[in-house]
Amino acid sequence: MRYALTRIARFVFVFVIVTFLVMLATRIGSKDPVRDLAGGQVGPEVIAKVEADFPYVRACEGTITYAPCMVSQYARWVGDVFTGNMGYSYAQNQSVVDMFKQRGPSTFWLGVWAIVIGLIGAVPIGVYSAYKRDSPLDRVLSLGSFAVLSTPQLVIAVFLLYAVANRVAFFPNIPDYVAPWSNPVEHFRNFFLPALTLGIGLGAVWSRLLRADMILTLQSDFINLARAKGVSPNRVLWVHALRSSVLSLITSVALQLSGLISGAVVAEQFFQVGGIGGRLVIAVQQNDILVIQAITAAVVAAVVVVNVGVDLLYAVVDPRIRQARALA
Amino acid sequence: MTAASGAAGPTVRTPKRPNRFLTGGSVLSLTWLIGLTLLAFFADYLPFIRYATARTKSVTNYKAGPGLDFWFGSDRLGRDVFARCIYGAQISLRVAVASIIVGIVVGGALGLIAGYVKGRTDATINVLFDVLLSFPALILAVLVVGRLDVLAADVPWLTRTWSVTIVLSLLSIAPIARIVRAQTLSLSEREFVLAARSLGAGRMRILFKEILPNLVPAMVSVAFTGVAVLMVAEGGLAFLGYSVESPSSSWGKLIAENREKIDVAWWATIFPSLMLFITVLAFNVVGDRFARRFDIREAAL
Repeated sequence: MRYALTRIARFVFVFVIVTFLVMLATRIGSKDPVRDLAGGQVGPEVIAKVEADFPYVRACEGTITYAPCMVSQYARWVGDVFTGNMGYSYAQNQSVVDMFKQRGPSTFWLGVWAIVIGLIGAVPIGVYSAYKRDSPLDRVLSLGSFAVLSTPQLVIAVFLLYAVANRVAFFPNIPDYVAPWSNPVEHFRNFFLPALTLGIGLGAVWSRLLRADMILTLQSDFINLARAKGVSPNRVLWVHALRSSVLSLITSVALQLSGLISGAVVAEQFFQVGGIGGRLVIAVQQNDILVIQAITAAVVAAVVVVNVGVDLLYAVVDPRIRQARALA
Repeated sequence: MTAASGAAGPTVRTPKRPNRFLTGGSVLSLTWLIGLTLLAFFADYLPFIRYATARTKSVTNYKAGPGLDFWFGSDRLGRDVFARCIYGAQISLRVAVASIIVGIVVGGALGLIAGYVKGRTDATINVLFDVLLSFPALILAVLVVGRLDVLAADVPWLTRTWSVTIVLSLLSIAPIARIVRAQTLSLSEREFVLAARSLGAGRMRILFKEILPNLVPAMVSVAFTGVAVLMVAEGGLAFLGYSVESPSSSWGKLIAENREKIDVAWWATIFPSLMLFITVLAFNVVGDRFARRFDIREAAL
């Protein structure tokens, strides 16, 4: 319990520091934050209204008062976010909450399908490679996964765009968001290519990881015991061995999350998925302060929550780790 | 005391293949990297490389396909794609290599301190890493480059090339420091460090004469894989519109700006993509071979 609390406290601390730094960046890199928030070329009455709506967005002055001014702005922003008011994008004429509602699902499904594609590729390849270690097919698969691992997402995207999207009429160049339950086929059409762009790389990473882990597992005593007891080879491989190797896979899924989000920004732009990432890029260009702050906070929160979750899950699943980590 | 894992003791199972550094793959990769570096370095003096910004007047069709005239074709403004790829290599390599050097120096120093001093210093530096790592790299890069653009209006030397280099350096610090810290932690508990300490060696002597030389193989490997990662990151950044200032260009920028014309002039996008892919692969192969040769774990950035 103490272990869990220290982990959580630490991540909350990190979250606060990161979001504060982001806020600082939006203020420092700006001549007039209020005008940026108001959307650039607007009259004084609009500025005055924006200032009244969001009093915690303004330029801080003075060397001594700068830090307290920033901290109070941060505190008021956090207070607002927790009461459900994440702000308003005057440049896009949309509240930030609506923006999340509109664009969030696209990014969510993109990430989910990327992970699913990665796992579908990685699990069979990893298990097979470990089982038939150093066989010709394993060599080829290892080489292949290394090559894929070294392929920049941008290059994968270019290839998919050139070889698939432009030739196969089934895949639209500009996808819209369709919920999977309202029209599964349409959903697949729209999300397959961008998710594949992200998923291929993930699959390569995970298959290598799973292979290495499974090779160790297959040498351990309990596998020999299971074999000696006469459990069928398939069952040993897919149930006994895979189960104990899945832990490291889970950790990797969590560790890859921040890379996945980076990749999602590129994939969204490339295939013009109307997701959060594309919105963030535009927001940074316009210094749309509250949108930047809200999206980065959401992203960091997601990374942090998943990390804490995996950490705790790990400790729950494997008591040895709980002990070891508590000592460290 | 060098990290000689090749000299296997009697209990260690001898590997099937000798663990040499120079294998077919790594020789090929090194050749590619050296060749590319030379081409990029001497681009201005080589007769077969046209100036990347020069428009070619000889062709009226400014989207000429690949052929004898234009090895990689010409782009929508009639510029030689091959030349632009080579000049792009100049920028891509320079930015990535400069950043990894900063990353290794700063990250290495922080990691060394954290791993050796331990205690409160270690905890503080660790929180710093947590902050840097909890943020998706590309989003951090976009934010910082975007903000630096505004500052750049008042600072004449702060071109995009500089801000991209600054950001990539910043991104490479934390992962490198993590690796160095872990290595330092395990090295500082080894017998030779204990021996040096019992001979009366001071802290500085142990750090610089005992631990640092043993970190070199890992750092070389990290440098290669790191350059690969940074080139990819630069590509992503360029694609989002945060690349070097025109008219110079990096591979990522070439891919990004020619992408929309891919169905009429595929060569302007595909060739830079191939260059990026092969180069990243080559860096990875060399880094991986090196890591295996010296039996380094956690060398992945």
